[in-house]
Amino acid sequence: MDIDAREIGGVTVVAPQGDIDMAVADDLRLRLANAIERGRVRVVLDLGGVMYIDSSGLGALVTAMKQARAAGGDVKVCALASDVRALFEMTRLDKVLSIHATRAEAIAACGSS
Amino acid sequence: MTELESVSRFEMTSEPDQLARMRSWLWTQLVGQALSLEACSAVLVAVGEICNNVIKHAYGSAAGQPIVIALRALPDRVIIDVEDEGVPYDPRAYAPPDLDAVPERGMGLFLVRQSVDDVAFDVARPRGTRWTLVKYRSPS
Repeated sequence: MDIDAREIGGVTVVAPQGDIDMAVADDLRLRLANAIERGRVRVVLDLGGVMYIDSSGLGALVTAMKQARAAGGDVKVCALASDVRALFEMTRLDKVLSIHATRAEAIAACGSS
Repeated sequence: MTELESVSRFEMTSEPDQLARMRSWLWTQLVGQALSLEACSAVLVAVGEICNNVIKHAYGSAAGQPIVIALRALPDRVIIDVEDEGVPYDPRAYAPPDLDAVPERGMGLFLVRQSVDDVAFDVARPRGTRWTLVKYRSPS
């Protein structure tokens, strides 16, 4: 899977492209953990390029959220496809993760949190 | 079986990178079944999670093991069977996730049960497990 990562205004924006399933979830989990361990604790996960995510992928996001919050930061997500949002709601992740419509809104929210 | 309309079969092996090929096949089958897109997506999630479970638990992440998926289309529902030849599923190993604790793992079968209308499994066979998932064409 392609994972675009860049720094924008002190926020690490990670944008996976493609399905996040068991085959790639550990790679995403590792990439996010490495960024957080290097002090990049304000993370925006842009899921606009993700049409399918499974429980492994959701688990990777939860791991990153917990790691970032433990380090004083947070993971915010944006641009959820409707099917992906449905899984967030099913697992109640929509209640614990900060979800934004656009990348710009998620980045702005990092500054205000 | 007189109400049976059609059966489609797909075979894969237990490498996780086979899952995308499975989803591509399954999506093609589902969109031709007059199901809503939401229902198609829900079935895709459920079958994907069963395959995850088979790969991780029935086969212990060993590669090259067979998984066979069959989709039966009936007038009021689609039925998807997922068969493996690994360690039979033990329902005693399942505990619903505590969503309030925001778990990092263990949500797979929960998503299956949330995504389809009926879930059954058969371990009374020579080897492995046959999972049977049912999705009705309209809300049950």
